[in-house]
Amino acid sequence: MEKILLISDRDEVAKKFGDIFSKNIHDFFVLTDELMITDSVSVYPPDIIILDVDSNEIDFKTIVKRVKSIDENIILIIYSDNEFDDIFLTSYSNAFITSTMSDKMIYSTVNMNLKTKNSLEKLFNTNKDLESSLYRLNALYDTSSKFAGTLDKKELLKYMIEGMDRTLSFSLTCLLSFADKDNPELILNSLYELSDELIAAIKLRTILNYKSLGEIPYDLNEKDIKVIKHIKYPASRFTFSLFQYDNMFAPISLGDEFFGCVEIFKDSTFTPDDATCFQTIVQQVALPIKGADLYQELINTNKELEKLERLKSDFISIVSHELRTPLTSIKNSMDILSSGKCCEITPTAEKFISMAQRNIKSLSRIINDLLDLSKIEAGKMEFNFKECNIQSVIDYVKSSLSEVAKSKNINLFAEVNDLPEIKADSQRLEQVLTNLVSNAIKFTPENKNIFIRSKLMNSKAIPKNPIFEDELNKLEGDYIVVTVEDEGIGIAESNLRKAFDKFAQIENSLSRKVGGTGLGLPIAKQLLEAHKGTIWCDSTLDKGSKFYFALPVTKVAQLSR
Amino acid sequence: MKKILIVDDEQDIVESLKFMLEASDYSCYCAYNGEDGLKMAKEILPDLMILDVMMPKINGYKISRLLKYDNKYKDIPILMITARSQEEDKKIGEETGADEYITKPFDLDDVVKTVDKYLKK
Repeated sequence: MEKILLISDRDEVAKKFGDIFSKNIHDFFVLTDELMITDSVSVYPPDIIILDVDSNEIDFKTIVKRVKSIDENIILIIYSDNEFDDIFLTSYSNAFITSTMSDKMIYSTVNMNLKTKNSLEKLFNTNKDLESSLYRLNALYDTSSKFAGTLDKKELLKYMIEGMDRTLSFSLTCLLSFADKDNPELILNSLYELSDELIAAIKLRTILNYKSLGEIPYDLNEKDIKVIKHIKYPASRFTFSLFQYDNMFAPISLGDEFFGCVEIFKDSTFTPDDATCFQTIVQQVALPIKGADLYQELINTNKELEKLERLKSDFISIVSHELRTPLTSIKNSMDILSSGKCCEITPTAEKFISMAQRNIKSLSRIINDLLDLSKIEAGKMEFNFKECNIQSVIDYVKSSLSEVAKSKNINLFAEVNDLPEIKADSQRLEQVLTNLVSNAIKFTPENKNIFIRSKLMNSKAIPKNPIFEDELNKLEGDYIVVTVEDEGIGIAESNLRKAFDKFAQIENSLSRKVGGTGLGLPIAKQLLEAHKGTIWCDSTLDKGSKFYFALPVTKVAQLSR
Repeated sequence: MKKILIVDDEQDIVESLKFMLEASDYSCYCAYNGEDGLKMAKEILPDLMILDVMMPKINGYKISRLLKYDNKYKDIPILMITARSQEEDKKIGEETGADEYITKPFDLDDVVKTVDKYLKK
């Protein structure tokens, strides 16, 4: 029923309006006293107030100010016998009626204003609902973006509680967390202090809740639960009546994975919207927790792998060192025997001694290769970068291998070129070139040729080989390109790349026959990469192979580490 | 006859070094651990020492450092035997003051040549 208040001290006016507003539809009442009016507005607010401004002894200005200060949306209609021109009162009024108007007219004016007021009120309420929904939505959005920002499980659960605080404003949340599976925690976020007895009761209740979930993933013993409490206002205390509060409960799980459960208490009733919001947050946190779990697993696996990798490197390094000592003794003994200083050596004995010596040499080369590789992989290889001339490297390798080549009747040619100096570790370059040339000698039949060439080239002029596209595309600027070309058995195209892989021996039987670990090329590749250079190869089966390596001329400054 | 002190816990290696060096007319003294090596170095004042790096308790580096920082012994040339590669050891060697590095497996002839370089001027 709409409430209409008339403020008037004129009886005839009171009677007139009393006739207009029927008792059944409207609650019509008349007041004159200022105090009564303000009380009525604050306790029993009317929908409309009609001001009889022609009253005899009423101070309307004061009343209007009072009324508006209590409810600024209240509707005021001015009633007057004449034209009315008080600016103050008109400025606060919504409508204006006069005694000259018919009753019907007055009735409809008031009614229209009533309707307007009702519509406005509805709008206002809808707006308020919208605002609170929007706030909740924002809070939910914030919470889920926070979830996305961390991979720490405890942090995620903290954000979950914060999200609930913002959207549901709880009195207490009891979170049973299995973030650390072996150390379950009961995290209590409470408005007020909780006594030890109350905490014990909450603990029991939580265990019961947890066990009511049916198939429980972890055994739970009261003693094993660590309680953590966060109290907002420690000066006040909750009592056992807390358990009569409205509450909601949900497990935090994803598929078969179980991370904990949470119960929330509030001193007022939860609406269905609250329940949805609660479920949403709990469901939302499960996925990132699972993600965090997986991430942790990944980190652990990675650590394990790194450890294994290091162990492998250490192992190779230790074994190689240990192998060197007995090998030294064997070598020394053989050398002493072959020196003839301790006894006469027969030709047959000499044959076997030199067989042993040859194998000692090969074994020691294998150990050196393994050591080199383990050092490179562990990042422990040290380089001595100095200005050096590639020609002297070529000369050294040519002279040290010419004997071996000659024994196979292979002609070893080396071009002499005047090339700029580069900053490099010449010993390592000798190692690379020795490897390439001795490979060439191994795989080249008798009476054939091997050519060593060197040239200054711009990266653009280097002939492209699609198999080594990645490496070649990285080259930029001027390079010294060294090539070792043989007329040997060649390498099938499908095997070219493998030749630079660790332990990948192409045509095993042949490699066996000619000896070697198959580590020479991978080592060469790594050594050249440390020089910011690269190595690649062209080859035709039965015609021969051409190995290239490029060393930068301009990037000198970058080499000194 | 020039005196050479060989210190290495690997008896086989000591044996072969001794054989070759004696064949080149050096008189050899042997110690099989760091403590004995240091003691003997001070007693016999050798003309040259061959030291293994890896030995229990007092390793080759320690012995070298102790001798090279002592005016009485600092002129004794020291040949260091190592199973590691040279570049690794050179760094530490610079502090310990060894004169030469021989990497295992080494060539006995090379060792004799190196010894000759220091003792047959």
